[in-house]
Amino acid sequence: MAITLKIQRFLGEKKWEQEYRLEVETGMTVLGALIKIKETMDPTLTFTASCRSSICGACAVKVNDNAVLACETLLADLLKRYASDTLTIAPLGNFTVLRDLMVDWQPKYDRLKKIKPALQPKTEFSASEGCRQSKDEFKKYSKNSECILCGSCVSECNKSNLNSKDFLDPFIFSKAAKFVADSRDKDAVAHLEPAVKDGLWKCLNCQECAAKCPKGLSPAEDIEKMRIATFEKKMSSNEGSDHAMAFYDDVKELGRLDEAKLALKTEGLKSALRVPVAYRLMRSGKLNPLEQAKPIGDIEKVRAIMKAAKEKKL
Amino acid sequence: MSRRTFLKVGAAAGAAVVAGAYFAWPGSNIPEAVRSGSALYDVLIIGSGGAGMRAALEASKQKGIKVAVMTKMAPTRSATTMAQGGINGAARNTDTKDSPEIHAFDTVKGADYLCDQDAVAYYTEESAKMLFELDYSGIAFNRQEDGRFHQRKMGGSSYARAAYSADISGHAVLHTMFEQCLKENIDFISECQLLEIVAMNGKLSGVVAVDMRSGEMLSVPAKTVIVATGGYGRAYWVRTSNPYSSTGDGIAACLNIGIPFKDPEMVQFHPTGLASNGVLLSESSRSEGAHLLNSSGERFMARYAPKAMELGPRDLVCQSVEKEILAGRGIGEGLKAAVYLDFRHIPKAIIQERLFQVRQLALQFEGVDIFDAPAPIRGTCHYSMGGIDVVDYKTCATKIAGIYAAGECSCISVHGANRLGANSLSEVLVFGKTAGAAAAAYAKGAGYEGDKEKLKAAVAAWNRKFDETTKRSQGASVAMIRDKMAMTMWNNAGIFRNEKGLRQAMGDMQELQAMYNTCQVGDSSRTCNTAFMNYIELGNLLRLGKGIIYGGLARKESRGSHSRTDFPQRDDKNFLQHTLISKEGDGFKTEYRPVMIGQYKPVERKY
Amino acid sequence: MRYALFPGCVLRGAASEAFLATVKVTEALGIDLVEIPEWTCCGASHMQDVDELTSLAINARNLAIAESMGLPVMTVCNTCTLQLRRAKAALDSDPELKAKVNEILAAGGYEYKGTSEVTHLLWVLASNPGLLDGKVAQPLNGLKVAGYYGCHLLRPPTVMNYEDALNPRSLEKIIGLLGAQAVDFDYKLKCCGFHAFWTAEKDVMQVTGKTVDNAAKAGADLLVTPCPLCQMQLDMYQPEGREAANSKAELPILHLPQLIGLALGMKKEELGIQRHISAVDKIRF
Repeated sequence: MAITLKIQRFLGEKKWEQEYRLEVETGMTVLGALIKIKETMDPTLTFTASCRSSICGACAVKVNDNAVLACETLLADLLKRYASDTLTIAPLGNFTVLRDLMVDWQPKYDRLKKIKPALQPKTEFSASEGCRQSKDEFKKYSKNSECILCGSCVSECNKSNLNSKDFLDPFIFSKAAKFVADSRDKDAVAHLEPAVKDGLWKCLNCQECAAKCPKGLSPAEDIEKMRIATFEKKMSSNEGSDHAMAFYDDVKELGRLDEAKLALKTEGLKSALRVPVAYRLMRSGKLNPLEQAKPIGDIEKVRAIMKAAKEKKL
Repeated sequence: MSRRTFLKVGAAAGAAVVAGAYFAWPGSNIPEAVRSGSALYDVLIIGSGGAGMRAALEASKQKGIKVAVMTKMAPTRSATTMAQGGINGAARNTDTKDSPEIHAFDTVKGADYLCDQDAVAYYTEESAKMLFELDYSGIAFNRQEDGRFHQRKMGGSSYARAAYSADISGHAVLHTMFEQCLKENIDFISECQLLEIVAMNGKLSGVVAVDMRSGEMLSVPAKTVIVATGGYGRAYWVRTSNPYSSTGDGIAACLNIGIPFKDPEMVQFHPTGLASNGVLLSESSRSEGAHLLNSSGERFMARYAPKAMELGPRDLVCQSVEKEILAGRGIGEGLKAAVYLDFRHIPKAIIQERLFQVRQLALQFEGVDIFDAPAPIRGTCHYSMGGIDVVDYKTCATKIAGIYAAGECSCISVHGANRLGANSLSEVLVFGKTAGAAAAAYAKGAGYEGDKEKLKAAVAAWNRKFDETTKRSQGASVAMIRDKMAMTMWNNAGIFRNEKGLRQAMGDMQELQAMYNTCQVGDSSRTCNTAFMNYIELGNLLRLGKGIIYGGLARKESRGSHSRTDFPQRDDKNFLQHTLISKEGDGFKTEYRPVMIGQYKPVERKY
Repeated sequence: MRYALFPGCVLRGAASEAFLATVKVTEALGIDLVEIPEWTCCGASHMQDVDELTSLAINARNLAIAESMGLPVMTVCNTCTLQLRRAKAALDSDPELKAKVNEILAAGGYEYKGTSEVTHLLWVLASNPGLLDGKVAQPLNGLKVAGYYGCHLLRPPTVMNYEDALNPRSLEKIIGLLGAQAVDFDYKLKCCGFHAFWTAEKDVMQVTGKTVDNAAKAGADLLVTPCPLCQMQLDMYQPEGREAANSKAELPILHLPQLIGLALGMKKEELGIQRHISAVDKIRF
């Protein structure tokens, strides 16, 4: 069947959308279509690709606003997914575009350097005898070593879309989490500190990264794991960690959330500055500061479970 | 619709708007000193695969040495990342009976005795040590009970020798090297395509490259250059497991300045490429026990390698697959003919743990879930044993002082007529390190003897060439010439070869070269002109393809991957020699150099 | 049709109107709900940042109680759904982990078996559209509704695999069955920012404003969401959102059961809509 690809073009200072119509051959991928266009219709169409087997990370693009690896995405599947014979193709989001679908990776490498992206081997290991690590310890980080630096995770990252200056790219958090979880590394804090400084607690938890990673990594989950590690390493608290702790404490005290006190626990005295919002909420009955939260009936059982969980390590 | 009318339609349909924040120029893919022309590198590495990055890390250990890695894409897109099965080294973690000597013997035998045994001994000694270094650098090696990295047995190996990271070992190597490069703040000159190494009268001046982003022709003066640009598998474009970037750029550049192309005819075809597109299913499939079956379900390797069966060396297994197809015991026809690789008897847990990429690739491109059905496979061009003639394995030096080569683009030679599975990753790391150390040491003791005026002249010539070639509005397209090249290479200089076919290929290539000389690039913009890049790459492939044919015609014997149906026997009397192709006028000349034989005397190979 | 209801803290607190609407609407549609006794907070996607095992155990407890009732679990909050399903997916796919969590649960006298599924009101309705047959007394003809999914009912897709996370249709389907017209808008799959309110306030206010603005510009009369947290964010902070996004848009933000209630002929007061902050007057029912 014939389909239309609307491709976002960009050259110099011009940006436009260009339509190409082509026949879909059996097994044709998005990359196959891009190559076909370049080779038979328009040699000026610019994109990057290398391995065409989902491992080099060069060919990620957005199709209908969702990042995919062009080399592994079958057109037939997309047509079915969107029930349409027209697809839009655009460069990855949260990257500077160089031309058409080609984006600039250089700034990402500079950001990657921030989290100390290399193993700091423990002193008992050596270059002549290598390291020791159990199979279970290996499993804790091996998934994270599968990141191919394709950029799909950051393309639709809601936080990065709003402001990426105070927030590292999701794949950078996954890289940091890899070293934090690697038993061969001697100093998790060296990777955690810059992660905290550059947005560890600012993730919106929208799970877009987990939905987009072609390798099945979950930067969102890696962010959670690093947050846990900041508690384990007794790193200093912040609004994000206090907020998380407030939930933990409320469940232990009451079984449920004490909404009236949440702001105070999270922000401390700063929450007093939120009076106008609080007033608005009280007026409509959304917030009742006088309400005294009571624990659920089975609170002792819940506390027993939480105590048992704390004593058992994951 | 012609291209021109098409563009008109596009421009009209897409009413161009000025892009605001979208636009951030100039990029920082190039250190400022390179752009301004004030840079002088002690060690300039071309290529950011395993060899290039390892070389950079080693060279930068020398204090006061300026090092940079140039790459035509972003740094992590290289062919290294596609290596799957493992990294050979006699580390003896899993099998204490192994040793560098046995590794050397396996390598020599696998190579059908065409390798230099002194170089092999050096390589196997170093690779045993290198695995521990790699572990210490943070690679995600699968583990065994005692906490050391585990090793698996690959084709042609006597013992479990390959350390691995599931079936993405090359990816693990490349990204570990990249992590180390980030840590050491190595300079990258990204998205710059090598056009020419400038060296006259044996004196190196530097390189000329095109900055992909701006289209600017850059001259980069350097005291030493390490060529680490990878193989030339894309000469078989439609039937190769290699990335689009494996176009032999560095080999072609060396050939142009008088450094020979050694053993070009030694092209490895891997037996288990997917039938539809040549994408590789890892050799670790067979190390984990997958069977090769013909159309009647017979394990046909019993006919060709009764002892080793599926774990015979790649040349033997690949030729066996092709023989089954030629005897009518395959499935499908033409380019899509195939036999089966069967995983159904392997526990699913093993597949999930160690072959997940294999499973995904088969599912994606063949629609086959290897849990339930066998995958259709056939030989696919996989590795270039031949390459830049390295004259000293202890330094990776070429015949021109200051120019070194490492990795798949080099021929040192440790792989001879057939490389063993999992020897390539250790080779790139061992010789990347060797080259890096040697180049840095050389640069430290030498002044810049090049001629910057010559570099400037070369830049001017490339500017003229860019304008002239991109202006053409007539002529054949790059893709059309490339596809024709690939077909004649696959049909006439592929798994099986003979005089008639090779002569046919030679004629075809000459015609294609003529077409290339007047072909059209199709894009005249200086910005990110990938069409021009593809044009340059095709020029390189045409030269190297011709080298394969020259070498193949001259080698009137069958050895390893080079299988002549008209000369089916190995001929040690005449051909225990390296082929050396070098430039002579507009053509090539062929010379020979004896192979260095050590303790392993050539005998017939049996598996 | 009978479910164990997991209401979650928000429905029992700040969004009690959603609880009210859920009860009324399910009654009217013949869906029997029994509140899970002694349920605890699901951790709201924050508690696992302190300790993952505790978060798993707490949700395993909630599920274990539902299992003892012999009922599948239904929620009306995206984040509760995610937290419960995430725990379930982790425990069901890893027998070792399940055994470990059961040792922990034994401290409170519970056992997790894995017998109760976890679903959401939207999914129940989308899978059983017949429930609405003949019940739509006041079709919302002419009403343009922006269906806003919120993140946690779709993502991560490995856990929330009811429908295609990149092109979901369930909300549009329900909007259509109610007689209204579903409006497509660019922000419909984006994040409201609720969970990062305290740490990325500026960004969150901006996305709140942009979401409402985008839906309004697409022609929506109101926005409906299956998640009470998204509802709170988009409703309560609309004034701040407008300021941050430099927008004039003002849109009523309804909980899914409220929109259904209106179509079933209920009055907006019965559904607690007057408890909302933004543009309540624009609802004419």
